[in-house]
Amino acid sequence: MTAGEITTHDSASSRPPRRPEVLDGPFTTRQLLRLDQALRVADRSTGLTFSVYVGELDEPVRDHAEKLLMQLADPASSVLIAVSPNQRVLEIVTGPKARVRLPDRDCKLAALSMAAAFGGGDLAGGIVNGLAQLADHARRA
Amino acid sequence: MSVTETVLIFVVIPAAIVLVIAGLAYAGGGRRTSKRYRPGRPFEFTPVWFVAAPEQLSVATGSAELTAGPHREAITGASEAPAVQRPERERVLQGMTGGASDRW
Repeated sequence: MTAGEITTHDSASSRPPRRPEVLDGPFTTRQLLRLDQALRVADRSTGLTFSVYVGELDEPVRDHAEKLLMQLADPASSVLIAVSPNQRVLEIVTGPKARVRLPDRDCKLAALSMAAAFGGGDLAGGIVNGLAQLADHARRA
Repeated sequence: MSVTETVLIFVVIPAAIVLVIAGLAYAGGGRRTSKRYRPGRPFEFTPVWFVAAPEQLSVATGSAELTAGPHREAITGASEAPAVQRPERERVLQGMTGGASDRW
């Protein structure tokens, strides 16, 4: 056995078994699967890129959400749903191209129904329904 | 049937069954309730970011990507700083984004 092999073996054994970090997130495995399905259906049916962020947002919240949108590959035709359960804030950000197909009024409508679900403590359900609603509006436009 | 036998069958055995079931319920139920979000109460979790197509995420962010399943990528919310690397793109899009906000 060479020295190199010993070091790789040591580093591998000292590392704890890898557990996906999303499981420390706010959702259970079943909710993650539903969310994944909703995201893929929304993307495929509209051609826009939908993305969901759940976590703390820095003040001002709107600017932070917009910065997150800028990190996507094609922000112009992307839609970001940012939810901060502890701050009880929801932001939907649409890029310039996405905004043409998804007017602010439709976003507000989806935001209202999502906030209603969050107020009842249903994070995953609110996000899945909101995604479906947004995709529905974008598809018709 | 003697008194001892009666007590054994009608009291001790049911009590043992009740205790076993109660013990199982107590041991198994504790972990799941902590996952539930209740508005107004602090809710501890790792920030998550989901994109249906992982390749849609810009390479420049340098975010740590985590695989959680065959079709899913999540990015921890901690790595947002590199967004400033693209000021020109941000300037173009500034003020042109739409959407909505809400609170609950």
